[in-house]
Amino acid sequence: MNNWERLVWNQRDALLAGLQVTIEVCFISFACAIVGGLVLCLVRMYVRPLRPVATFLIEFFRATPILVQLLWVNYAWPEIFGWPTSFYQAACTALALQSSGYLAETFRGGIEAVPRGQREAAFAVGMSPLLVFRRIILPQVLLGSAPAIVNQFTVIVKSSTLVSVITVQDLMFQSQKIVNIAYEPIEILTATAALYIAFIYVVSMIGKLLADRLRRSYGIAAH
Amino acid sequence: MSESLREILDLQLFWEFRTVLLRGLAVNFYVFIAAAVLALSLGLGAALLRNSRAAPLRWLGTLHVEIFRNAPDYVMVVWVHFVLPLLIGVVLHSRFEFNPFVSAMIALGFVYSGYFAETFRAGIEAIPAGHLEAARSLGIGEGLILRRIILPQVVRSMLPESINQFISLFKATTIVSLIAVPDLMYQVSMITQQQMRPLPLYTGAAITYFVIVLVAGSSLRVLADRWRARIRA
Repeated sequence: MNNWERLVWNQRDALLAGLQVTIEVCFISFACAIVGGLVLCLVRMYVRPLRPVATFLIEFFRATPILVQLLWVNYAWPEIFGWPTSFYQAACTALALQSSGYLAETFRGGIEAVPRGQREAAFAVGMSPLLVFRRIILPQVLLGSAPAIVNQFTVIVKSSTLVSVITVQDLMFQSQKIVNIAYEPIEILTATAALYIAFIYVVSMIGKLLADRLRRSYGIAAH
Repeated sequence: MSESLREILDLQLFWEFRTVLLRGLAVNFYVFIAAAVLALSLGLGAALLRNSRAAPLRWLGTLHVEIFRNAPDYVMVVWVHFVLPLLIGVVLHSRFEFNPFVSAMIALGFVYSGYFAETFRAGIEAIPAGHLEAARSLGIGEGLILRRIILPQVVRSMLPESINQFISLFKATTIVSLIAVPDLMYQVSMITQQQMRPLPLYTGAAITYFVIVLVAGSSLRVLADRWRARIRA
Protein backbone atom coordinates (compact mmCIF):
# COMPACT_ATOMS: atom_id res chain seq x y z
CA MET A 1 0.00 0.00 0.00
CA ASN A 2 2.95 2.25 0.74
CA ASN A 3 4.10 1.83 -2.84
CA TRP A 4 0.72 2.94 -4.16
CA GLU A 5 0.92 6.09 -2.11
CA ARG A 6 4.49 6.85 -3.15
CA LEU A 7 4.18 6.01 -6.84
CA VAL A 8 0.61 6.91 -7.68
CA TRP A 9 -0.96 9.24 -5.11
CA ASN A 10 2.09 11.45 -4.69
CA GLN A 11 2.36 11.76 -8.47
CA ARG A 12 -1.22 12.85 -8.85
CA ASP A 13 -0.34 16.34 -10.12
CA ALA A 14 1.60 14.94 -13.08
CA LEU A 15 -1.09 12.37 -13.79
CA LEU A 16 -3.90 14.91 -13.62
CA ALA A 17 -1.97 17.25 -15.92
CA GLY A 18 -1.62 14.32 -18.31
CA LEU A 19 -5.32 13.51 -18.05
CA GLN A 20 -6.12 17.11 -18.88
CA VAL A 21 -3.97 16.96 -22.01
CA THR A 22 -5.67 13.69 -22.98
CA ILE A 23 -9.11 15.25 -22.61
CA GLU A 24 -8.08 18.38 -24.54
CA VAL A 25 -6.61 16.38 -27.40
CA CYS A 26 -9.70 14.18 -27.56
CA PHE A 27 -12.19 17.05 -27.63
CA ILE A 28 -10.24 19.07 -30.20
CA SER A 29 -9.87 16.05 -32.47
CA PHE A 30 -13.51 15.07 -31.98
CA ALA A 31 -14.77 18.54 -32.93
CA CYS A 32 -12.51 18.62 -35.99
CA ALA A 33 -13.55 15.08 -36.93
CA ILE A 34 -17.27 15.96 -36.84
CA VAL A 35 -16.74 18.97 -39.10
CA GLY A 36 -14.34 17.07 -41.37
CA GLY A 37 -16.60 14.03 -41.53
CA LEU A 38 -19.62 16.16 -42.42
CA VAL A 39 -17.67 17.94 -45.17
CA LEU A 40 -16.29 14.69 -46.60
CA CYS A 41 -19.73 13.10 -46.53
CA LEU A 42 -21.47 16.05 -48.21
CA VAL A 43 -18.79 16.32 -50.88
CA ARG A 44 -19.03 12.61 -51.55
CA MET A 45 -22.81 12.72 -51.86
CA TYR A 46 -23.52 16.02 -53.57
CA VAL A 47 -20.40 17.37 -55.33
CA ARG A 48 -20.14 15.10 -58.33
CA PRO A 49 -16.71 16.23 -59.71
CA LEU A 50 -14.98 15.84 -56.34
CA ARG A 51 -16.61 12.55 -55.45
CA PRO A 52 -13.61 10.28 -56.27
CA VAL A 53 -11.33 12.49 -54.16
CA ALA A 54 -13.66 12.39 -51.16
CA THR A 55 -14.18 8.63 -51.52
CA PHE A 56 -10.44 8.04 -51.69
CA LEU A 57 -9.79 10.20 -48.61
CA ILE A 58 -12.53 8.47 -46.60
CA GLU A 59 -11.20 5.03 -47.51
CA PHE A 60 -7.61 6.07 -46.84
CA PHE A 61 -8.38 7.49 -43.40
CA ARG A 62 -10.40 4.44 -42.47
CA ALA A 63 -7.99 1.82 -43.73
CA THR A 64 -4.68 3.07 -42.32
CA PRO A 65 -3.81 2.13 -38.73
CA ILE A 66 -3.82 5.09 -36.34
CA LEU A 67 -0.16 4.66 -35.35
CA VAL A 68 0.90 4.73 -39.00
CA GLN A 69 -1.19 7.81 -39.64
CA LEU A 70 0.13 9.55 -36.55
CA LEU A 71 3.76 8.99 -37.52
CA TRP A 72 3.01 9.82 -41.15
CA VAL A 73 1.37 13.14 -40.27
CA ASN A 74 4.11 13.86 -37.77
CA TYR A 75 7.12 13.11 -40.00
CA ALA A 76 5.95 13.42 -43.59
CA TRP A 77 3.49 16.33 -43.51
CA PRO A 78 5.89 19.03 -42.33
CA GLU A 79 8.07 18.25 -45.36
CA ILE A 80 5.18 18.25 -47.82
CA PHE A 81 2.90 20.99 -46.49
CA GLY A 82 5.14 22.78 -43.97
CA TRP A 83 2.53 21.94 -41.31
CA PRO A 84 1.94 20.79 -38.52
CA THR A 85 4.61 22.66 -36.65
CA SER A 86 4.19 20.98 -33.27
CA PHE A 87 3.67 17.45 -31.98
CA TYR A 88 0.43 18.57 -30.38
CA GLN A 89 -1.00 19.73 -33.72
CA ALA A 90 0.18 16.55 -35.43
CA ALA A 91 -1.53 14.44 -32.77
CA CYS A 92 -4.86 16.26 -33.07
CA THR A 93 -4.68 16.18 -36.87
CA ALA A 94 -4.03 12.45 -37.08
CA LEU A 95 -6.79 11.58 -34.61
CA ALA A 96 -9.22 13.92 -36.38
CA LEU A 97 -8.42 12.51 -39.84
CA GLN A 98 -8.97 8.93 -38.75
CA SER A 99 -12.32 9.66 -37.13
CA SER A 100 -13.52 11.97 -39.89
CA GLY A 101 -13.35 9.00 -42.26
CA TYR A 102 -15.50 6.86 -39.98
CA LEU A 103 -17.93 9.70 -39.19
CA ALA A 104 -18.34 10.51 -42.89
CA GLU A 105 -19.66 6.98 -43.43
CA THR A 106 -21.89 7.25 -40.35
CA PHE A 107 -23.39 10.51 -41.62
CA ARG A 108 -23.90 9.06 -45.08
CA GLY A 109 -25.84 6.15 -43.61
CA GLY A 110 -27.92 8.63 -41.61
CA ILE A 111 -28.68 10.85 -44.61
CA GLU A 112 -29.63 7.89 -46.77
CA ALA A 113 -31.99 6.70 -44.03
CA VAL A 114 -34.10 9.88 -44.27
CA PRO A 115 -37.05 9.00 -46.51
CA ARG A 116 -36.92 10.67 -49.95
CA GLY A 117 -40.47 11.92 -49.66
CA GLN A 118 -39.55 14.24 -46.78
CA ARG A 119 -37.04 16.10 -48.91
CA GLU A 120 -39.44 16.30 -51.83
CA ALA A 121 -42.19 17.59 -49.55
CA ALA A 122 -39.87 20.22 -48.09
CA PHE A 123 -38.87 21.39 -51.55
CA ALA A 124 -42.52 21.42 -52.59
CA VAL A 125 -43.43 23.84 -49.78
CA GLY A 126 -40.65 26.12 -51.06
CA MET A 127 -37.79 25.51 -48.60
CA SER A 128 -34.32 26.24 -49.96
CA PRO A 129 -31.82 23.34 -50.19
CA LEU A 130 -29.82 24.77 -47.30
CA LEU A 131 -32.90 25.08 -45.12
CA VAL A 132 -33.98 21.55 -46.02
CA PHE A 133 -30.59 20.25 -44.97
CA ARG A 134 -30.52 22.26 -41.74
CA ARG A 135 -34.09 21.74 -40.60
CA ILE A 136 -35.15 18.40 -42.07
CA ILE A 137 -32.12 16.23 -42.71
CA LEU A 138 -29.42 17.20 -40.20
CA PRO A 139 -31.52 16.82 -37.02
CA GLN A 140 -32.62 13.33 -38.07
CA VAL A 141 -29.08 12.33 -39.02
CA LEU A 142 -27.67 13.52 -35.69
CA LEU A 143 -30.44 11.75 -33.77
CA GLY A 144 -30.18 8.53 -35.71
CA SER A 145 -26.42 8.27 -35.55
CA ALA A 146 -25.98 9.58 -31.98
CA PRO A 147 -24.80 6.19 -30.62
CA ALA A 148 -22.29 5.75 -33.45
CA ILE A 149 -20.98 9.29 -32.94
CA VAL A 150 -20.48 8.73 -29.20
CA ASN A 151 -18.84 5.40 -29.95
CA GLN A 152 -16.40 7.23 -32.23
CA PHE A 153 -15.45 9.46 -29.30
CA THR A 154 -14.45 6.44 -27.25
CA VAL A 155 -12.36 5.27 -30.22
CA ILE A 156 -10.60 8.65 -30.17
CA VAL A 157 -9.89 8.32 -26.45
CA LYS A 158 -8.39 4.86 -27.01
CA SER A 159 -6.29 6.03 -29.94
CA SER A 160 -5.18 9.13 -28.03
CA THR A 161 -2.98 6.92 -25.83
CA LEU A 162 -0.65 6.68 -28.84
CA VAL A 163 0.11 10.40 -28.98
CA SER A 164 2.58 9.80 -26.16
CA VAL A 165 4.74 8.13 -28.82
CA ILE A 166 5.37 11.52 -30.44
CA THR A 167 5.99 13.05 -26.97
CA VAL A 168 2.65 14.77 -26.45
CA GLN A 169 2.45 14.84 -22.66
CA ASP A 170 -0.82 13.00 -22.14
CA LEU A 171 -1.71 10.61 -19.31
CA MET A 172 0.17 7.71 -20.90
CA PHE A 173 3.27 9.88 -21.39
CA GLN A 174 3.27 11.04 -17.77
CA SER A 175 2.86 7.55 -16.41
CA GLN A 176 5.67 6.19 -18.58
CA LYS A 177 7.85 9.06 -17.42
CA ILE A 178 7.24 8.06 -13.81
CA VAL A 179 8.08 4.45 -14.72
CA ASN A 180 11.36 5.56 -16.26
CA ILE A 181 12.31 7.52 -13.16
CA ALA A 182 11.21 5.02 -10.52
CA TYR A 183 11.81 1.72 -12.35
CA GLU A 184 8.76 0.31 -10.60
CA PRO A 185 6.07 -0.11 -13.20
CA ILE A 186 3.51 -2.28 -11.38
CA GLU A 187 1.51 0.29 -9.45
CA ILE A 188 1.67 3.22 -11.81
CA LEU A 189 0.90 1.31 -15.01
CA THR A 190 -1.92 -0.61 -13.33
CA ALA A 191 -3.40 2.64 -12.03
CA THR A 192 -3.10 4.23 -15.48
CA ALA A 193 -4.77 1.28 -17.20
CA ALA A 194 -7.58 1.30 -14.61
CA LEU A 195 -8.02 5.05 -15.04
CA TYR A 196 -8.32 4.74 -18.82
CA ILE A 197 -10.75 1.82 -18.60
CA ALA A 198 -12.91 3.65 -16.06
CA PHE A 199 -12.81 6.87 -18.08
CA ILE A 200 -13.84 5.16 -21.33
CA TYR A 201 -16.51 3.13 -19.50
CA VAL A 202 -18.01 6.30 -18.02
CA VAL A 203 -17.89 8.12 -21.37
CA SER A 204 -19.68 5.31 -23.17
CA MET A 205 -22.28 5.03 -20.37
CA ILE A 206 -23.01 8.77 -20.50
CA GLY A 207 -23.18 8.57 -24.27
CA LYS A 208 -25.63 5.69 -24.16
CA LEU A 209 -27.87 7.49 -21.66
CA LEU A 210 -27.79 10.72 -23.66
CA ALA A 211 -28.53 8.94 -26.92
CA ASP A 212 -31.43 7.03 -25.34
CA ARG A 213 -32.92 10.16 -23.83
CA LEU A 214 -32.60 12.11 -27.08
CA ARG A 215 -34.30 9.34 -28.99
CA ARG A 216 -37.06 8.93 -26.46
CA SER A 217 -37.82 12.65 -26.35
CA TYR A 218 -38.08 12.68 -30.14
CA GLY A 219 -40.05 9.46 -30.26
CA ILE A 220 -37.50 7.40 -32.13
CA ALA A 221 -37.19 3.88 -30.76
CA ALA A 222 -33.71 2.75 -29.82
CA HIS A 223 -32.49 -0.23 -31.78
CA MET B 1 6.19 21.72 -52.72
CA SER B 2 6.62 20.05 -56.12
CA GLU B 3 10.01 18.69 -55.13
CA SER B 4 8.67 17.11 -51.96
CA LEU B 5 5.80 15.71 -53.97
CA ARG B 6 8.29 14.04 -56.25
CA GLU B 7 10.01 12.72 -53.18
CA ILE B 8 6.84 11.04 -51.93
CA LEU B 9 6.03 9.55 -55.29
CA ASP B 10 9.61 8.39 -55.56
CA LEU B 11 9.34 5.49 -53.16
CA GLN B 12 12.70 4.02 -54.21
CA LEU B 13 14.05 4.11 -50.69
CA PHE B 14 11.07 2.04 -49.57
CA TRP B 15 11.64 -0.40 -52.42
CA GLU B 16 15.36 -0.67 -51.65
CA PHE B 17 14.62 -2.19 -48.23
CA ARG B 18 11.85 -4.48 -49.48
CA THR B 19 13.22 -7.74 -47.98
CA VAL B 20 13.49 -6.33 -44.46
CA LEU B 21 10.14 -4.63 -44.78
CA LEU B 22 8.45 -7.76 -46.10
CA ARG B 23 9.86 -9.71 -43.20
CA GLY B 24 8.35 -7.05 -40.94
CA LEU B 25 5.00 -7.41 -42.65
CA ALA B 26 5.15 -11.18 -42.12
CA VAL B 27 5.61 -10.50 -38.38
CA ASN B 28 2.44 -8.37 -38.51
CA PHE B 29 0.59 -11.37 -39.91
CA TYR B 30 2.01 -13.77 -37.29
CA VAL B 31 0.95 -11.44 -34.47
CA PHE B 32 -2.44 -11.06 -36.11
CA ILE B 33 -3.04 -14.81 -36.40
CA ALA B 34 -1.84 -15.60 -32.87
CA ALA B 35 -3.93 -12.80 -31.36
CA ALA B 36 -6.98 -13.68 -33.47
CA VAL B 37 -6.96 -17.31 -32.30
CA LEU B 38 -6.65 -16.21 -28.68
CA ALA B 39 -9.33 -13.52 -29.07
CA LEU B 40 -11.80 -15.90 -30.70
CA SER B 41 -11.44 -18.59 -28.05
CA LEU B 42 -11.55 -16.14 -25.12
CA GLY B 43 -14.46 -14.33 -26.76
CA LEU B 44 -16.44 -17.52 -27.17
CA GLY B 45 -15.69 -18.42 -23.55
CA ALA B 46 -16.85 -15.04 -22.28
CA ALA B 47 -20.01 -15.15 -24.41
CA LEU B 48 -20.88 -18.61 -23.05
CA LEU B 49 -20.26 -17.36 -19.50
CA ARG B 50 -22.61 -14.44 -20.08
CA ASN B 51 -25.29 -16.85 -21.23
CA SER B 52 -24.80 -19.36 -18.45
CA ARG B 53 -27.45 -20.08 -15.85
CA ALA B 54 -25.35 -19.34 -12.74
CA ALA B 55 -25.35 -15.63 -11.89
CA PRO B 56 -21.70 -15.40 -10.68
CA LEU B 57 -20.53 -16.86 -13.99
CA ARG B 58 -22.62 -14.31 -15.86
CA TRP B 59 -21.04 -11.50 -13.82
CA LEU B 60 -17.60 -12.86 -14.60
CA GLY B 61 -18.37 -12.82 -18.32
CA THR B 62 -19.76 -9.28 -18.12
CA LEU B 63 -16.70 -8.10 -16.18
CA HIS B 64 -14.39 -9.59 -18.81
CA VAL B 65 -16.27 -7.88 -21.64
CA GLU B 66 -16.54 -4.50 -19.91
CA ILE B 67 -12.86 -4.40 -18.97
CA PHE B 68 -11.41 -5.40 -22.29
CA ARG B 69 -13.87 -3.58 -24.52
CA ASN B 70 -13.01 -0.34 -22.76
CA ALA B 71 -9.25 -0.86 -22.58
CA PRO B 72 -7.04 1.07 -25.03
CA ASP B 73 -4.87 -1.48 -26.89
CA TYR B 74 -1.63 0.46 -26.42
CA VAL B 75 -2.12 0.69 -22.66
CA MET B 76 -2.84 -3.03 -22.50
CA VAL B 77 0.22 -3.90 -24.61
CA VAL B 78 2.44 -1.86 -22.30
CA TRP B 79 0.81 -3.30 -19.17
CA VAL B 80 1.13 -6.90 -20.31
CA HIS B 81 4.73 -6.40 -21.37
CA PHE B 82 6.01 -4.55 -18.32
CA VAL B 83 3.70 -5.42 -15.42
CA LEU B 84 2.31 -8.91 -15.99
CA PRO B 85 5.76 -10.65 -16.00
CA LEU B 86 6.59 -8.95 -12.68
CA LEU B 87 3.34 -10.14 -11.14
CA ILE B 88 3.92 -13.69 -12.40
CA GLY B 89 7.47 -13.44 -11.06
CA VAL B 90 6.15 -12.56 -7.60
CA VAL B 91 3.89 -15.61 -7.68
CA LEU B 92 6.62 -17.93 -8.95
CA HIS B 93 9.36 -16.39 -6.74
CA SER B 94 11.69 -16.03 -9.70
CA ARG B 95 12.53 -13.60 -12.48
CA PHE B 96 10.17 -13.91 -15.35
CA GLU B 97 10.03 -12.16 -18.71
CA PHE B 98 7.85 -12.22 -21.78
CA ASN B 99 9.19 -12.27 -25.26
CA PRO B 100 7.66 -9.11 -26.89
CA PHE B 101 5.81 -11.32 -29.37
CA VAL B 102 4.08 -13.19 -26.53
CA SER B 103 3.15 -9.93 -24.80
CA ALA B 104 1.70 -8.60 -28.05
CA MET B 105 -0.33 -11.75 -28.59
CA ILE B 106 -1.72 -11.80 -25.04
CA ALA B 107 -2.57 -8.09 -24.94
CA LEU B 108 -4.25 -7.89 -28.33
CA GLY B 109 -5.92 -11.28 -27.84
CA PHE B 110 -7.51 -10.17 -24.57
CA VAL B 111 -8.56 -6.73 -25.81
CA TYR B 112 -10.22 -8.10 -28.92
CA SER B 113 -11.84 -10.98 -27.03
CA GLY B 114 -14.06 -8.30 -25.46
CA TYR B 115 -15.35 -7.25 -28.87
CA PHE B 116 -15.67 -10.82 -30.16
CA ALA B 117 -17.60 -11.84 -27.03
CA GLU B 118 -20.28 -9.26 -27.84
CA THR B 119 -20.51 -10.48 -31.43
CA PHE B 120 -20.74 -14.11 -30.30
CA ARG B 121 -23.39 -13.22 -27.76
CA ALA B 122 -25.55 -11.44 -30.34
CA GLY B 123 -25.21 -14.52 -32.56
CA ILE B 124 -26.14 -16.89 -29.73
CA GLU B 125 -29.15 -14.81 -28.72
CA ALA B 126 -30.39 -14.79 -32.31
CA ILE B 127 -30.83 -18.57 -32.25
CA PRO B 128 -34.50 -19.44 -31.63
CA ALA B 129 -35.06 -21.00 -28.19
CA GLY B 130 -36.94 -23.83 -29.89
CA HIS B 131 -33.70 -25.16 -31.40
CA LEU B 132 -32.18 -25.66 -27.97
CA GLU B 133 -35.38 -27.11 -26.50
CA ALA B 134 -35.73 -29.53 -29.40
CA ALA B 135 -32.08 -30.61 -29.11
CA ARG B 136 -32.34 -31.08 -25.34
CA SER B 137 -35.57 -33.04 -25.59
CA LEU B 138 -33.82 -35.36 -28.04
CA GLY B 139 -31.22 -35.96 -25.34
CA ILE B 140 -28.29 -34.37 -27.18
CA GLY B 141 -25.45 -33.44 -24.80
CA GLU B 142 -24.57 -29.78 -24.10
CA GLY B 143 -21.18 -30.06 -25.83
CA LEU B 144 -22.72 -31.53 -28.94
CA ILE B 145 -25.45 -28.87 -28.94
CA LEU B 146 -22.78 -26.17 -28.85
CA ARG B 147 -20.80 -27.77 -31.66
CA ARG B 148 -23.53 -28.89 -34.01
CA ILE B 149 -26.41 -26.48 -33.38
CA ILE B 150 -25.18 -23.24 -31.85
CA LEU B 151 -21.76 -22.63 -33.41
CA PRO B 152 -22.66 -23.18 -37.09
CA GLN B 153 -25.50 -20.66 -36.86
CA VAL B 154 -23.45 -18.20 -34.80
CA VAL B 155 -20.55 -18.26 -37.23
CA ARG B 156 -22.86 -17.56 -40.13
CA SER B 157 -24.63 -14.63 -38.48
CA MET B 158 -21.53 -13.03 -36.97
CA LEU B 159 -19.43 -13.17 -40.11
CA PRO B 160 -19.95 -9.60 -41.43
CA GLU B 161 -19.39 -8.05 -38.00
CA SER B 162 -16.33 -10.16 -37.29
CA ILE B 163 -14.66 -9.20 -40.57
CA ASN B 164 -14.61 -5.60 -39.32
CA GLN B 165 -13.11 -6.76 -36.05
CA PHE B 166 -10.44 -8.83 -37.76
CA ILE B 167 -9.51 -5.75 -39.74
CA SER B 168 -9.32 -3.60 -36.61
CA LEU B 169 -7.15 -6.27 -35.04
CA PHE B 170 -4.82 -6.28 -38.03
CA LYS B 171 -4.55 -2.50 -37.84
CA ALA B 172 -3.83 -2.76 -34.12
CA THR B 173 -0.87 -5.07 -34.76
CA THR B 174 1.14 -1.98 -35.80
CA ILE B 175 1.19 -0.97 -32.12
CA VAL B 176 3.42 -3.91 -31.22
CA SER B 177 6.35 -2.11 -32.86
CA LEU B 178 6.38 0.06 -29.72
CA ILE B 179 7.46 -2.87 -27.55
CA ALA B 180 10.10 -3.81 -30.14
CA VAL B 181 8.34 -6.63 -31.96
CA PRO B 182 10.13 -6.36 -35.33
CA ASP B 183 7.04 -5.67 -37.45
CA LEU B 184 6.78 -3.39 -40.48
CA MET B 185 6.47 -0.15 -38.49
CA TYR B 186 9.43 -1.16 -36.32
CA GLN B 187 11.59 -1.73 -39.40
CA VAL B 188 10.42 1.57 -40.87
CA SER B 189 11.49 3.48 -37.74
CA MET B 190 14.83 1.67 -37.68
CA ILE B 191 15.55 2.48 -41.33
CA THR B 192 14.41 6.06 -40.78
CA GLN B 193 16.97 6.44 -38.01
CA GLN B 194 19.73 5.20 -40.33
CA GLN B 195 18.70 7.08 -43.46
CA MET B 196 17.22 10.25 -41.94
CA ARG B 197 14.56 10.32 -44.64
CA PRO B 198 11.19 9.79 -42.97
CA LEU B 199 9.05 11.08 -45.83
CA PRO B 200 9.25 8.22 -48.36
CA LEU B 201 9.45 5.55 -45.68
CA TYR B 202 6.40 6.55 -43.65
CA THR B 203 4.44 7.32 -46.81
CA GLY B 204 5.34 3.88 -48.14
CA ALA B 205 4.22 2.26 -44.90
CA ALA B 206 0.91 4.14 -44.94
CA ILE B 207 0.25 3.11 -48.55
CA THR B 208 1.19 -0.52 -47.83
CA TYR B 209 -1.25 -0.82 -44.93
CA PHE B 210 -3.93 1.05 -46.85
CA VAL B 211 -3.72 -1.32 -49.81
CA ILE B 212 -3.64 -4.46 -47.64
CA VAL B 213 -6.59 -3.43 -45.49
CA LEU B 214 -8.65 -2.23 -48.46
CA VAL B 215 -8.03 -5.32 -50.60
CA ALA B 216 -8.38 -7.81 -47.74
CA GLY B 217 -11.48 -6.10 -46.37
CA SER B 218 -13.39 -5.90 -49.63
CA SER B 219 -12.46 -9.39 -50.84
CA LEU B 220 -13.34 -10.95 -47.47
CA ARG B 221 -16.70 -9.21 -47.56
CA VAL B 222 -17.42 -10.52 -51.07
CA LEU B 223 -16.37 -14.05 -50.08
CA ALA B 224 -18.51 -13.96 -46.93
CA ASP B 225 -21.57 -12.74 -48.84
CA ARG B 226 -21.13 -15.47 -51.43
CA TRP B 227 -20.69 -18.15 -48.77
CA ARG B 228 -23.78 -17.04 -46.87
CA ALA B 229 -25.82 -16.91 -50.07
CA ARG B 230 -24.72 -20.42 -51.04
CA ILE B 231 -25.58 -21.84 -47.62
CA ARG B 232 -29.00 -20.25 -47.62
CA ALA B 233 -29.80 -21.58 -51.09
